[in-house]
Amino acid sequence: MTMTAVPFADAGLPAVRVQRQTPSGRIALTLALAALVALVAMPWWASTGTIRWILELCCYLAVAQMWNLLAGYAGLVSVGQQAFMGAAGYALFVLAQTYGINPFLAVFLSLLVPAVLAVPTYFLLHRLEGPYFSIGTWVVAEVFRLVSTNLPLVNSGAGMSLRVMKDYSAFERNVAMSLLCATLLLVTLGGSYWLLRSRFGLALIAMRDNPVAAASQGVQVGRLRFLIYVAAAVGCGLAGAIYFMAQLRITPGSAFDPMWANLAIFIVMVGGIGSIEGVLIGTLIFFVADRWFGEYGASYFVVLGLMTLAVALYARTGIWGAIARRWDAPWFPIGRRLIDPQQGTKGETR
Amino acid sequence: MSAVLSTHGLVARYGDFQALYGVDTELGAGECVALIGANGAGKSTFLRAVMGLLPVAREMVRLDGEPVGGTAPDRMVQKGVAIVPEGRRLFTGMSVEDNLRVAIDQAARAAGKAGARAGGKGGWTLKRVHDLFPILAEKARTPVQSLSGGQQQMVAIGRALLCQPRVLLCDEISLGLAPKVIREIYAALPEIRAAGTAVILVEQDVGLAQSASDRLYCMLEGRVTLAGKSAEISRAQIGEAYFGVGHAVA
Amino acid sequence: MQWLDALIQGVLLGGMYAQYALGMALMFGVMRIVNISHGDLVILLSLIGISLASAFGLGPLPVLVALVPLAVLIGFVLQKTVLNRVVGNDPLPSLIATFGLSIALQNLMLQIWSANSRSLPGYGLESRSIEIGGIYIGLLPVIVLAVATGLTWGLDLMLKRTRFGRALRAAAADVEAAAMTGIDPRAVYALATAAAVGILGFAAVFQALRSTVAPADGPAQLIYAFEAVIIGGMGSVWGAFIGSMVLGISQAIGFRIDPGFGVLAGHIVFLFVLATRPQGLFGRA
Ligand SMILES: Nc1ncnc2c1ncn2[C@@H]1O[C@H](COP(=O)(O)OP(=O)(O)OP(=O)(O)O)[C@@H](O)[C@H]1O
Ligand SMILES: [Mg+2]
Repeated sequence: MTMTAVPFADAGLPAVRVQRQTPSGRIALTLALAALVALVAMPWWASTGTIRWILELCCYLAVAQMWNLLAGYAGLVSVGQQAFMGAAGYALFVLAQTYGINPFLAVFLSLLVPAVLAVPTYFLLHRLEGPYFSIGTWVVAEVFRLVSTNLPLVNSGAGMSLRVMKDYSAFERNVAMSLLCATLLLVTLGGSYWLLRSRFGLALIAMRDNPVAAASQGVQVGRLRFLIYVAAAVGCGLAGAIYFMAQLRITPGSAFDPMWANLAIFIVMVGGIGSIEGVLIGTLIFFVADRWFGEYGASYFVVLGLMTLAVALYARTGIWGAIARRWDAPWFPIGRRLIDPQQGTKGETR
Repeated sequence: MSAVLSTHGLVARYGDFQALYGVDTELGAGECVALIGANGAGKSTFLRAVMGLLPVAREMVRLDGEPVGGTAPDRMVQKGVAIVPEGRRLFTGMSVEDNLRVAIDQAARAAGKAGARAGGKGGWTLKRVHDLFPILAEKARTPVQSLSGGQQQMVAIGRALLCQPRVLLCDEISLGLAPKVIREIYAALPEIRAAGTAVILVEQDVGLAQSASDRLYCMLEGRVTLAGKSAEISRAQIGEAYFGVGHAVA
Repeated sequence: MQWLDALIQGVLLGGMYAQYALGMALMFGVMRIVNISHGDLVILLSLIGISLASAFGLGPLPVLVALVPLAVLIGFVLQKTVLNRVVGNDPLPSLIATFGLSIALQNLMLQIWSANSRSLPGYGLESRSIEIGGIYIGLLPVIVLAVATGLTWGLDLMLKRTRFGRALRAAAADVEAAAMTGIDPRAVYALATAAAVGILGFAAVFQALRSTVAPADGPAQLIYAFEAVIIGGMGSVWGAFIGSMVLGISQAIGFRIDPGFGVLAGHIVFLFVLATRPQGLFGRA
């Protein structure tokens, strides 16, 4: 790994350095890379069943992080990202099953559909104020569901199966799934981390903290929101395409299931909004809870709902927020710290 | 002289930014005190803190000797403090009369609740406000957003008076108005004071503030830099306190 | 003839939607809050009404008399315990809080009442109809429309003429200025939500009489209320009323074209209004 601290060379100023990585961050990044390698190597150490649930976990992570990017940074609280998951899923099935395109190529081609659909959707919905925007995203997801129910191209309400996958051996499928999982996380989590550390990052964080002030300092809030919306649609689309490829079947009900919105909101709010760490923590909690308590069905969801409510009322920053207040050891530092070699840390932007 | 309203080491902040650094003031019953200072001196912040719009400690504001700092604004109104806020803050979409009626409603509600009113004996009615500013009677049905600036300011003052205040806080009521309109509005001051209402006038126009008030405070960067009888303070003193010349040298 | 019939059925359906939409328009107008559990509250009240009716053998009117005060109480408590903590400039906390509440409510209802669809016995009221020139008009839908009109009219009058209505409009225009005029915003908010949910008490009874209810039906009601409010134009109760009519008519006509197209037609009209007249049919630009 390379040092990310760069010397700050400005005449007349004391010799401060801008530090962009921390010890905790280096450990986390190393672990993340190790996890990525393990993910790619899954066919050689994991059973097909294990790969399946890890794939699900990866989809949760991806969808939650996309929601986090929307709600936590861009101030766009969507409850309809399932629209883009289903759209990409259907696109994959049509391309691979109906038109016979190689399914692993089709996964990526199918991303064009959410990208293209996100543009008019954003231009319609951004006219709605705050909470109305959210319900609007839900309506769009419902429209997608109803259209697919009536669209002969996607076999209407009966849904489609991905029979072409039978042409590949179980091992080949496992290799492909593993690579796709790794790609998904690299694109959604890695991409978000890269984005937040890029020159857009500061603008995004300024926008998160105060959109009005950010706009007055030259951040193009509207344009940035639009780009984030499209990016999140593509990210969710990739998760959807991979998820439904593993499922081998897609129906209007499953493709545009509002459950995905519930899940993303729970994960991000409980884990801690506005941070990648929060998404990891929240996903872990949700995943474990789902395995252990999922069998309790309705009561389990009552508890999840009440927990989400409690977080909104009493602990807006979630678990990671509570941790970050106590220990200053970010796993994915995105701020810049000014280091004065004589005195240690001077100031920080987060 | 017993003060009706006083502040004691009043401190206020907006998040990390401290805007007031221990402000001590006093307002006698029936008195008119002017508060002057440059832009950003903290005058509006002072009024907002007194009104309970910013979190302050209980002991920092006293009304008739009773500590009231941090009391919610609607409770402050019931206790007899009303404000003509910076920027007027009228209820857009509502008519002139409805804007005034909101205050009447609340005063009546408070009177009903408390039995006898805790507020002033001003006895302000819609009719008296109309006598004070006749144009408001004429424009009673007009939506406030289509009034001129001066007329809007009259609605804001009328609304505050109908809260039946013993203490009236006015934030730059002359701002952006033509000299003739300013005279018209300031002509209402004696009538307001005749009812026994004490007034704090925040003003940018130093001459106007000096001539309309009994006493005067000058603020600079969140502190009081000058206090005294309006008639006795010289222009030079004000200039020094206003721009902090003395402070800069020291 | 068939289209005239669809138009009439649409208007009548709109009467049902108006009963959901009024409360949402009121709450958003005053607090800038959308209660995601809006539809779930209707269903909850319906199910309580159905249980009351079967336990005590009550007819629709006594159920209504019992449900509306209960709804008012629920609204008041909801505001005091949840919404007053999340009102503010940031829409996120209120959305998340009511979203969590919605999930919890739906699943709680599922546990108590199971996933079955139920309805409120109308003792023949639901099957009576009047024939006008070959078109049969159900008596119940006409009552629903009449009640919706009455509620809209009453709410509008309350906002314009009463002390509480003025306080509400003042708080909607500028909360801080309202507080500086002696209004306690939290008290006004609590009453506004009590009124909004109270109206849902009517909606609950009529929904359960007109068709069936099941624990999972809430989100659909939320979406219809929302579409009606946006189509009509935010900030006016008559706008919400007209928006409900437009939505009802769109769905009824869509349904005549193809039964699978009814709900979708409503969504499409909503999106069309959003594209061409984002302030709504009655909104100020
Ligand atoms: N909402 C706010 N958030 C942060 N800082 C604020 C806020 N309002 C005022 N300030 C700051 O507090 C200080 C005092 O402001 P205040 O509005 O009290 O000044 P003022 O004396 O009323 O000035 P003016 O004559 O311009 O009205 C200023 O530095 C201002 O920038
Ligand atoms: Mg000011």
